[in-house]
Amino acid sequence: MLFSSIPFLFYFLPIVLILYFAVPKVFKNSVLLLSSLFFYAWGEPKYVVLMVLSILMGYAFGLLIEKFRGKALSKVFVTLSVVFSLAILGYFKYADFFIDNFAGLTGLSIPLLNIALPIGISFYTFQILSYTVDVYRGDVAAQKNPITLGAYIAMFPQLIAGPIVRYRDVEIQLNTRTHSIQKAASGIKRFTIGLCKKILIANLLGEITAVFLASADLSVLFYWLNAVAFSLQIYFDFSGYSDMAIGLGRIFGFEFLENFNYPYISKSITEFWRRWHMSLGQWFRDYVYIPMGGNRVSKARHFINILVVWMLTGFWHGASWNFVLWGLYFALLLMLEKYLLLDKLKKSKVLSRIYVLLFVLISFVIFDSPTLPDIGKRLLAMFGFSSIPLVSKEALYYLGSYAFVLILAVIGATPLPKMLYAKLSKNKAFAKITVIMEPVLLAVMLIVVTAFLVDGSFNPFLYFRF
Amino acid sequence: MNEKTKNLFTVCLLGALLLSIALFCWLKPQDDFSDSERRVLAQFPQIKWEKVLSAKWMSEFETYALDQFPLRDDFRALKSAASLYVLNQKDTHDIFMADGHISKLEYPMKEDMLTYSADLFNSIYDKYLKDSGSNVYFSIIPDKNAYLAKENGYLSMDYKKAIEFMKERTRFMEFIDISDMLSADDFYYTDTHWRQEKITHIASFIAGNMGVELKDEYTQNVLDIPFYGVYCGQLALPQKPDTIIYLTNDTIDDLIVTSYSTGKPVPQSLYNMEKAGGKDAYEMFLSGAEAIVTIENPNASTDKELILFRDSFGGSIAPLFGEGYKKITVVDVRYVRSQVLDQFIEFNGQDVLFLYSTVLLNNSLAMK
Repeated sequence: MLFSSIPFLFYFLPIVLILYFAVPKVFKNSVLLLSSLFFYAWGEPKYVVLMVLSILMGYAFGLLIEKFRGKALSKVFVTLSVVFSLAILGYFKYADFFIDNFAGLTGLSIPLLNIALPIGISFYTFQILSYTVDVYRGDVAAQKNPITLGAYIAMFPQLIAGPIVRYRDVEIQLNTRTHSIQKAASGIKRFTIGLCKKILIANLLGEITAVFLASADLSVLFYWLNAVAFSLQIYFDFSGYSDMAIGLGRIFGFEFLENFNYPYISKSITEFWRRWHMSLGQWFRDYVYIPMGGNRVSKARHFINILVVWMLTGFWHGASWNFVLWGLYFALLLMLEKYLLLDKLKKSKVLSRIYVLLFVLISFVIFDSPTLPDIGKRLLAMFGFSSIPLVSKEALYYLGSYAFVLILAVIGATPLPKMLYAKLSKNKAFAKITVIMEPVLLAVMLIVVTAFLVDGSFNPFLYFRF
Repeated sequence: MNEKTKNLFTVCLLGALLLSIALFCWLKPQDDFSDSERRVLAQFPQIKWEKVLSAKWMSEFETYALDQFPLRDDFRALKSAASLYVLNQKDTHDIFMADGHISKLEYPMKEDMLTYSADLFNSIYDKYLKDSGSNVYFSIIPDKNAYLAKENGYLSMDYKKAIEFMKERTRFMEFIDISDMLSADDFYYTDTHWRQEKITHIASFIAGNMGVELKDEYTQNVLDIPFYGVYCGQLALPQKPDTIIYLTNDTIDDLIVTSYSTGKPVPQSLYNMEKAGGKDAYEMFLSGAEAIVTIENPNASTDKELILFRDSFGGSIAPLFGEGYKKITVVDVRYVRSQVLDQFIEFNGQDVLFLYSTVLLNNSLAMK
């Protein structure tokens, strides 16, 4: 089920909210777990069994690891937990990729398994891994209540597109969270803003990329328009989803960590990755990079660590070579920055920002290209190394038609609106007006978003299949 | 204090809004048909275990929830207004407004669709007309974007190129070019079709090219039912309706129309007033979607007959040809397979006119 869908907004969510706030505290996690399983089953009825099995496996391994803490068996169980989790992820997400490449290399004819990827498997597998590893490390106690652990792993606000919430960050909240009008209001505001980011900006920018793909009137301008539109679309799509997840979490009494912090204002790629999909970056840092030695190793080993982490980061996004290349591209940039560029980038805020935007834009061309040859084709076309014209009438038409949305997206990708609102709120008269106007504006936004949903059709999130 | 009040108001207002819309969704009786979109609406899907397991039921429920959403047309209007006037987009679902007209982008020129149309006409010619001794004519009606889109900064196909493309592939037919004889105002403001009262010169010109002279004298009759064209519903914004004017004269009044769409002859009206009061008033012309219709002129001073292969544009021009022929057989190959036409029509040297709009030629898969 999608957050940005009529069934979620006007069927599922109201019922869950009524049930959740109607039941005594002791049953709230049960309501969360059951509603989350229903939410998951809505899109993947058969794979809900896989999810329940994954939860039970995580639960059992957690208990076993804790029971044998300090003994060799503890290490065996944590290893088994990692192996089983990665095996499930590998089978459902990567099996066909490896079969296809193996067949290509050897010339053998091996049929593909054609397995449908369970929604959100990358997210919930990483959450289970973080839980069992943290129990092994002694950072958290094993959860004795399977319903509580199930509610954590399956929690629908962040189940299918993150942020990747680590158990240690919500361990206390799972048992002793509080609910308040202030939290609910803040959650509603965050959720509505996220919904608008998804429907009013990301989806509309997605229309540019759709017409680009179907166009027979390509030009250099159209390639750039597509690249810019996609870069903004993926930001508003994914950060919009994270906003909705964080907002829903707040309504249910949770405080999830932030996942985005205006990445497009970064002055280096290093900073960009501290602001983009922060929960994934933190996960790889804590569970892959630092265990490998991080940067407290020789330079050569450090290179290898960065390459491995970024190759895995790319591969996490999808079973395709362009994602691997995308990860390695960032590995290269991060190494260049660490050993050559970071000091130079500090000299000019403007140039450093242009540098980040250009290289991030190129990264999303790699990310978005359907095949490896397409990456080369798109980049060559963007930089004028092809026989297409500079401008085309389609490119000009869609640039004109989506100009306002693009401007809105560019401004919305910076902290300017938030800063302006904060500044205005210091004015007493403005603050008084917002008491009425802010909720009214949120209501209007919800109505407008509903209008777009009613008018539109199915619109899956970009991050659904990762 | 302000913050507390704001939070309370936020929770109450948004909570009430969410619950009210939700209750409206759950309790609203189902509608069967959308007048604005002219389509049947999805109904609550039947619950079957296998459909639930395969998630097909959920998919059907999503469609149902969208189709049956309360105040659906008002929400669609709000979306159109937001797209066009707030987000400043040039079109919504390819529908745009220019020079008082509502129109739909017909872009790009689809060579595969045009080729399909040309191949179909070729097959009809080879099967029925090649050895029949018929004079075969072809004319293309440019849709109103040809006169509206480019001038107003909208995407527009190259109409000259499209016409040349079709001409090259249908060399067996004598081409009658009417593209320079039309303007945007010859079409309804809210609909894709041309106005009957504005095409009498086109009818005379085409007939003249086929060796038939029309007197071009008609009485204009105003239909007293407002005509909200197909683009009204698609745009979803409130619009002034068009007025349908239909033409009569002594000859037209006496024309005898028979429909063969059910396989048997059924008397039909030239201007169907029942259809005029229906979902699409333009269907009053030859009763709209009909596979085969004959128009007989009992007062004809000639034995000449015409077979008119047409789309919906042909419905309003066919009556005007009535004066020049003893019998006109009007065929719409969207509703009857072209390969079985000889079961209904004897091809024996009649004049044959293929008259199609670029809208259908460029989206031709409905023709069989």
